[in-house]
Amino acid sequence: MVKIYHLYPDLLDLYGDRGNVMALVKRCEWRNLPVQVKEIRIGDIVDFSGADIVFMGGGSDREQNLLAEDLGQRLENLRQAIEGGLVMLAICGGYQLLGSYYLAADGAKVTGLGLLDFYTEAGPDRLIGNVGVEIELNGKKVLCSGFENHSGRTFLGRVQPLGRVLAGHGNNGQDGLEGARYRNVFCSYLHGPLLPKNPALADYLLSLALGREEGWKGLGSLDDTLENTANEVMLKRIMNKR
Amino acid sequence: MLVRLFIAIMAGKFVMWLSRSLGQGSGSSLPGMVALRICPGLLEILARQIKEGIIVVTGTNGKTTTSNMLADILSSEGQRVVTNRKGANLATGVASAFLQSATVLGRLDYEWAVLEVDEAAFPFVYSQVKPQAVVVTNFFRDQLDRYGELDATVDLIKKSLLDRGHAQLILNADDPLVAGLAAVAEKQPVYYGLGEHRETCARGVGVKEARFCPHCSQELNYAYYHYSQLGAYSCPRCGFARPVPALEAINAEDGLEFVRGTVIYEQEQLELTLPTGGLHNLYNAVAALAAATVAGISPRAGIGYLRGYHAATGRMDRFRHRGRLVLLNLVKNPAGFNRGLAILDKAPGSRDVLIAINDNDADGRDVSWLWDVDFEILGQNNAGYNFFICSGRRGEDMAVRLKYAGVPADKIKVERNLEQAVDRALGGRGERVFLLATYTALWPVELYLRDKAERVMTGGQDLPSVS
Repeated sequence: MVKIYHLYPDLLDLYGDRGNVMALVKRCEWRNLPVQVKEIRIGDIVDFSGADIVFMGGGSDREQNLLAEDLGQRLENLRQAIEGGLVMLAICGGYQLLGSYYLAADGAKVTGLGLLDFYTEAGPDRLIGNVGVEIELNGKKVLCSGFENHSGRTFLGRVQPLGRVLAGHGNNGQDGLEGARYRNVFCSYLHGPLLPKNPALADYLLSLALGREEGWKGLGSLDDTLENTANEVMLKRIMNKR
Repeated sequence: MLVRLFIAIMAGKFVMWLSRSLGQGSGSSLPGMVALRICPGLLEILARQIKEGIIVVTGTNGKTTTSNMLADILSSEGQRVVTNRKGANLATGVASAFLQSATVLGRLDYEWAVLEVDEAAFPFVYSQVKPQAVVVTNFFRDQLDRYGELDATVDLIKKSLLDRGHAQLILNADDPLVAGLAAVAEKQPVYYGLGEHRETCARGVGVKEARFCPHCSQELNYAYYHYSQLGAYSCPRCGFARPVPALEAINAEDGLEFVRGTVIYEQEQLELTLPTGGLHNLYNAVAALAAATVAGISPRAGIGYLRGYHAATGRMDRFRHRGRLVLLNLVKNPAGFNRGLAILDKAPGSRDVLIAINDNDADGRDVSWLWDVDFEILGQNNAGYNFFICSGRRGEDMAVRLKYAGVPADKIKVERNLEQAVDRALGGRGERVFLLATYTALWPVELYLRDKAERVMTGGQDLPSVS
């Protein structure tokens, strides 16, 4: 049974990010792998050691403040699960929340969960548009596409980036990096949503989660023609623009 | 100043004439853009001459239909109305509407102006035209890349109303985000709404947007809701609740080609039938009727005029092709798309569907909103559909969305070219054809469809009789 914990789906539901959970679920179902989604809301009792994959999307500022406090109370439990190899995907606002802090435009410093070593500063304008990223998965280079819409500029410390920006802005529009990776935690600014159109990444997350069990033999292949075509059409469009 | 105004009007009118004679577009935005560039105060000067009053319609969905209905009601009463009928709802479109109605000397001889205004353009237009009344239809999530988050849009409108609070507000009682605007109103708002009816979901599950009280952020309770966050809400903490509407439609019945309900107004019960389908159009009608009361027109009279209402292009727009009904509908955000899908789902017989998704600026460049639309209803009931043709610049994204919604892969076709996609949809064997298109895809689809199929123009005579 693949157990997916969807963090605060009622609060973090901007930009169709729930599509990431749909993608993971469908790709399990199409392979006849039992899968279960548990929606975690504010105040729920939760133990992350029971999760295979945790997903967190982005939300508006007001909603993000509401849940930062709630998540802070579960911090140790989450940190241990991450150190133990828990697979996690955090998008946009959820991504920023995992870092050290967020420096707002008015100079206010909002402390993050400090799970990953990076920080975010508010920028003068929003970085909006289609993005192409090269991501290395298991030594193989994969081209992914999505849409970014964020004013925060994220700068990485001792964590790997998720990938390199081919078109668009990425973390900060300066260093050519997109997202972050630490152990099995993946962070990205890419909406779209990210996983449905980038099935290689979706399957990589699933194989990392399933690979934690002994005797696992690997994922069967699926027909991803529609997904790959959609991805290629967009990559072609934005790469030609450059 | 006066010279500048005349030059602006002449230039605007010339551009209007030019774009029409060249057949380049309908001349609904460019003339206003040129004239505003020459004379930035143009709107204020022209708007001052409107004799009775100006009514602005804003909100996420239903602006075009509500303002068209209201303009129809006023015209039917013999009033002359300036209106931006074609949905060009930025400052430039509003200016074009005034230009078209003005003489070359800048004189306007009109009693009313009914202006549909985009939420982002609202602060400027509101400050310039100083409307007597403002209708706010609803606030749904829409084009995040353009408007930003929903809270920002609501705040924008609220701030304008705070700066100048004399306007009579006409508010949708069923939307907590809209009704919350009453806090900044100087006069008691006129509320309209829909009462509970048999298609209403009884419980509060499924309300995704605006589930929190606009005043104290507590989660709202819902006795029932119609769709999205529209329903009977109340805040357990601060007592904020759905206001009692002055004008309310009950016993709603939604057919594919009509919608009807009983309108309650000052203890009177009036039967309303519209020659266009969709519960959302009932909302638009009661909004227009409520606004018309501000102009002293009774709902009884208004309802009579609306019997012959012609839907605007792409608003449940009906065509016939080889004896089959073809419905063309604009889709631009999750709330509106879900309404469209509800209509598809209810249609009897087998259906052929075309969904055209563009990502130009006017559509919103970010198509991730497609994942906030509940396409799962198509996956679950896919037996009633022959195929889904996905078209437009983001047709491939649409195809992926349908696949993950559970639509069998062999029913999903991608045809990027809009005209060929329409041909394929019309060439199907389903009993009904549905064409759903985003804003910039709608116009080419409609242009092509006009040649291929016959538009159904309703008077009201071919409507089912009111029982």
